[in-house]
Amino acid sequence: MNLVESHMLVKKFGDFTAVNEVNLQIPDGMCFGLLGPNGAGKSTFISMIYGVCKRTSGHIRVFGKDPNTYGREIRQQLGIVTQDNYLDKEMNVYENMVLYAKLMGVPKDEVAKRIDELLDFMSLTHKKKAPIMALSGGMQRRLVFVRALLGNPRMVILDEPTTGLDPAVRHLLWEKVNELKRRGVTVLITTHYMDEAQNLCDDIVVMDEGKVREQGSPKSLINKHCPGYMAFVSDSEENLQKFSRRQDSSTALEIIREQNVLALRSNDMANLQIHLKNADVDPILIRPTNLEDVFLKITGRELSQNA
Amino acid sequence: MLDTMDLSWKVAMRNWAIYRKFLFSNIIPTLADPAFFILSFGIGLGGFVSQIDGMSYTQFMGPGLATSTALMTAFFSTSYNFYVRLFYEGITHAMLTTPVGPREIIFGEFIWVGLKSAGMSMGVVLVLLCFGLVDYHYLWAVPFVSLFVGLACGGMGLISTAMVESINQFQTVYAVVISPIFFFSGVFFPINQFPVVLQWLAHLSPLYHGVVINQQLLWGKPNLFLILTHSLELLVLSMILCFIAYKLIYPKMER
Repeated sequence: MNLVESHMLVKKFGDFTAVNEVNLQIPDGMCFGLLGPNGAGKSTFISMIYGVCKRTSGHIRVFGKDPNTYGREIRQQLGIVTQDNYLDKEMNVYENMVLYAKLMGVPKDEVAKRIDELLDFMSLTHKKKAPIMALSGGMQRRLVFVRALLGNPRMVILDEPTTGLDPAVRHLLWEKVNELKRRGVTVLITTHYMDEAQNLCDDIVVMDEGKVREQGSPKSLINKHCPGYMAFVSDSEENLQKFSRRQDSSTALEIIREQNVLALRSNDMANLQIHLKNADVDPILIRPTNLEDVFLKITGRELSQNA
Repeated sequence: MLDTMDLSWKVAMRNWAIYRKFLFSNIIPTLADPAFFILSFGIGLGGFVSQIDGMSYTQFMGPGLATSTALMTAFFSTSYNFYVRLFYEGITHAMLTTPVGPREIIFGEFIWVGLKSAGMSMGVVLVLLCFGLVDYHYLWAVPFVSLFVGLACGGMGLISTAMVESINQFQTVYAVVISPIFFFSGVFFPINQFPVVLQWLAHLSPLYHGVVINQQLLWGKPNLFLILTHSLELLVLSMILCFIAYKLIYPKMER
C-alpha cells in the first residue's frame, strides 16, 4: 500500500512554479529519499503532504486521504522533523514536550511516560529540566526528533535532519532512523548529504526545478548513471589532452571536468588503471562511484537560478 | 477526536503558560500605565477641572482607562508578540506539524487575547475600586465588555501583522491607528466636545463603544439604551475585524 500518492501535483507561488507535475508513490515501510538542489521544491512537496501548503492543481493522497480536507487527521499520524528546529525557547525541554504531546493528542495519563521513553531513546534524559538555550545544536536536533515521535507516528518526515551537525550526532541519528525502520515506520527524508541518502534510503527521487528527474534505489541509480570507479587527477592542460585522446567508445572512459580536478570514470577498475598507467599519470584518489556523482550528473554542476 | 475548539484552547494555553512564568513583571506595565495616568491627569490636571458630568476628573477617567487597557493588551499581544512567534521563532510552524492547523492557531490567538484583555482591564477596575473611584454594582459585566474590545483590537493587531513588511512598521501602526483610538474614544473627555464628523468617526473605534458601556456600568447610574446600542456596535465591529484578520493572517501560515 502507498502511504503517499501524488499525481501531476503542481504548486505555484505567483509566477514561480515550485512543484511541477510531480508523480510520486511512497510505499508503506520504506525509507524514501527526496534529493535535489536548494530550491528544487522538496520542502514545498513536504508541506503539501501535511496539508499546510495547498496545491495549485493535481492530486495528492496521504494515508488515502486528501490533505487539504483531512490535514488534521493526517498530521496526527505523522512525525515531522522540520528543517529549522522551531523549539519554544521560553519553555524548558520537558515543558516543550508536554505541550506538543497535548497537541498531538497523547492521552493525559500517558504523556509523562511517552516523553521519558523518547528522551531516553534520544539520550536526552539528563537534560529534561534544561532550558532550550542551554542545549547544543546536536541536542536541540535530537529534541526535535523526540517532538516528532511523541504521537507514535506511522510515517516520519525528516527535512534535512542532520544539516550542520557533527559526525557523531549524524551517526547517532542514522542509527535511530534505522531503529524506526525496523519498527516498521515509513520514513521520508530530504538531505544534501549523499552518504546519508546512500546509507538510509531504499528508494530515491531526484528533484530539480520542481520536477522529478530520476527515481530508483541508490544502487540502481549508480549503475544506471555512473557505474564503476572514479579516479581524480590534476586538471593540467597536458592531462586533459592525454586523456581526451584516449577517450572513445572502445576505451570505456568518461572524462568529467570538475573545479581544479579532472575526474575519470570507468566501469572497470582494471581498465581505469591501465589508462592511468599508459598515460603515466599518478591519480590523487581512486574510489568507487557514489550517489554524489549521480546527483551532480543529473542536476548539473552549476548553481541553478533558484538556489 | 481532537476538535477545533479543544486544539485552539491548547494553543491559547501555551501563551498563558509562558505568560504565567513571569506573571508579576508581565502585569506591572499593564497596571502601571493607568496608575500614572490617574496620578498625572487625575490629580494634576484634575485640580483645574472641578467637575465633569457631575463627578471628579479621576472618577470620570477611571472606566475609560480600564477599557483602554484592553486595547493596549490586545494590540501588543497580536502585533509584536504574535509576529515574533510567526516569523522569527517559528513557534506557529512547529505547531502546524501537529493536528493544529492555521484555523486553530488563529482561534487560539483570539481566545488568548480576549481572555487576557478581559483579565487585565478587570485588574485595573479592581485597583480603581480600592480607591473608591468606581461603583461596584455592575462590575461583574466589565470583563465581558473588555473581552470584545480585546477581540476587536486583537483583530486590528493581527491585520497589521499580516500587512507590515517589517516589525518596525508596528510603530507606524501605533502612531496612526492605536494612539488616535486611545485619545479620541472618550477616555479623557466626553466625545461631544468634538466636531460632529469626529463624533461619527468615533463609532468606528471599538474602544469608544467599550468605554461608553463601561462608563455606564461603573459610574453607578447605567443607561440601558446606551449600553444596548453600543454593545451591538461593539459586537458587529469585533466580528468584522476578527473576520478580516482571519482572512489576512491565514495565508501567512501556508507555505
